Amino acid sequence: MSAAGRASAGWWWLILPAFLLLVVFYIAPIVQVLAISVTEPEPGLGNYERLFTSGAVQRVILTTLRICVITTALALLLGYAIAYAITLATPQAQGWWILAVLVPLWISVLVRAFAWVTLLRRQGLVNNTLMEAGLITEPLPLVWNEFGIVVGMVHYMVPFAVLPMLASMKEIDPRLLAAARGLGASRGAVFRRVFLPLSLPGVIAAGVLVFIFSLGFYITPAILGGGKTLMVAEWIGLQILDLIRWGLGTMMATMLVVAILVTPAIFSRIVDLRRIFGTGA
Amino acid sequence: MQTFQQDCVDLAVRKYRRGEIGRRGLLAALSALGVAPLAGGDAVAQAARQLVMVNWGGIANQGFGRFYGEPFMAANSGWTVVQDSTGPSAGRIRSMVESGRVTWDLCDSSASSSNLLGRQNLLTRVDYSIVKREDTLPVGFALEYGAAPYSFSSVLAYDSSKFPQGGPTSWADFWDLRRFPGTRLMRRDALATLDAAQMALGKDPANLYPLDIRACLRKVAELRRNAVYWNSGSESEQFLRTGEAVMGQIWHTRATVLERETNGRIKFIWPQALLQAGIFVMPRGNPGGEMAQRLLASMLANPEPQVGLLQLLGNGPTNPRAAAMVPQELRRNNPTDPENARVQVVLDGNWWGQNYQQANADFIDTITG
Repeated sequence: MSAAGRASAGWWWLILPAFLLLVVFYIAPIVQVLAISVTEPEPGLGNYERLFTSGAVQRVILTTLRICVITTALALLLGYAIAYAITLATPQAQGWWILAVLVPLWISVLVRAFAWVTLLRRQGLVNNTLMEAGLITEPLPLVWNEFGIVVGMVHYMVPFAVLPMLASMKEIDPRLLAAARGLGASRGAVFRRVFLPLSLPGVIAAGVLVFIFSLGFYITPAILGGGKTLMVAEWIGLQILDLIRWGLGTMMATMLVVAILVTPAIFSRIVDLRRIFGTGA
Repeated sequence: MQTFQQDCVDLAVRKYRRGEIGRRGLLAALSALGVAPLAGGDAVAQAARQLVMVNWGGIANQGFGRFYGEPFMAANSGWTVVQDSTGPSAGRIRSMVESGRVTWDLCDSSASSSNLLGRQNLLTRVDYSIVKREDTLPVGFALEYGAAPYSFSSVLAYDSSKFPQGGPTSWADFWDLRRFPGTRLMRRDALATLDAAQMALGKDPANLYPLDIRACLRKVAELRRNAVYWNSGSESEQFLRTGEAVMGQIWHTRATVLERETNGRIKFIWPQALLQAGIFVMPRGNPGGEMAQRLLASMLANPEPQVGLLQLLGNGPTNPRAAAMVPQELRRNNPTDPENARVQVVLDGNWWGQNYQQANADFIDTITG
């Protein structure tokens, strides 16, 4: 080993305490919990078999995927518009825009979920306004269903969609847009053929981030779902705390971990995630 | 999932904050529920002449047991009753007994848990030569592995402003979406819900058990699209108060509060309500031994504190002499008042003890997804 190699090996010792801490207090307990999925109620893959045989298990997975896909799509759409507006704004306005994006992030997810309940319930602000305006005669079912969950989750996820997309849009050289205009492209063509393709890595990164985040969402669906629209995280909690079916709960937890690991692995083949998440070039 | 006992604590604290009861009243209520813990942290039952009563907690460091503990301590000098608010779930009792280090004497449990744990040989049988059967209700309140010093009920509550022609009078009406349109509210728990479904299916309430679980689940599935489900008592109250649901199956304590605070807009009915026993159990090998039986006997034998509990929180007394002591204006809200008890159905704790786990898992699968 060269001198430089020994020196860099020495640096590795510095992270050993952190590494040990992580193994003992994080990885080992998780592995232990996941191991329950093949040992309870009896050793074997019986719990995993339920993935293919149990309608309830399949329903909860489908519900989760559906909600996550819809949430991701909507958050990307809204987030893209916001990020685009921020990119084109003056530097001073950009500061205010970014503050406006970040402030909701600092408000507790619990508070925001309850705020949506007061807005969306039968006698909430939205329904009352619509009824007084004479647009509807019966309150719309806006909450205690998938619609309510999606509203609450999109609201939570938009900042997470904006930030990676904003980072990638800021890297686009504005002179390229000017050059395209100079070569006779219309505004629409500049956006479609220059700006959009260049910002696409940011869109994919934001999509991966939001999707993974959505998969394990707990509080928002639990409050806005009315007890009957269950996503994976709440379902796992229910299995473990109320039904004492630890094997089934940890099986689903394992699937969740696998899904969260596999999603970025797939997308890292399409785009360079390291560049986008900012861990160096 | 919040238990009935935890919800009672929430209600008591709310009354206290609004000034409806004084601090003394709150402490009395909490200790009657067995909630007010010993100052200085966890109760430890190492001292020989000490009994540990375990409850569902919520607030710490509030005071000493007054209603259940003090009458016993007065009659048995040298003995103290301390409170532990860990929440004696069936799982916790099981792991404590199996670990061989039992520190609990008397736990606030339920009929179904007492049956479940008793069959696994994790509880001490109630010694009915010490505990008097005639101090509690005849059916379902004095069980092999536990006895009940209080009662509660799952009643049908409804929003009368939505039904000017007259409200529902049975679980069959509860399931009748054509005559009574609107969102239903049910606990996300099979217990008491399937019983109601079975009555809606037309089975005679006098011979309700055994329930036909599959038929009941199908009945539950009928309502799924028009129903919301509650986990905690306060949630159940909010759903009805804000008009999200037009009728629901909720605990009678919450129904009483709603009826009073909405000036009768929300009403509730006793017929076909599911009367349940607040069963206390003794873990096998409890440190206090036979004295726990005597404590239980004392809790059942003293009607006055039971009436005090009803006045503060609405838990029904179970001592047969208690009903007559209840002030006239409270009788309407007492689940064990003879007038009310007559029309209710006593939930069969033995049947549920044998079927709860599977039935509840199937129930959750039915209403979710």
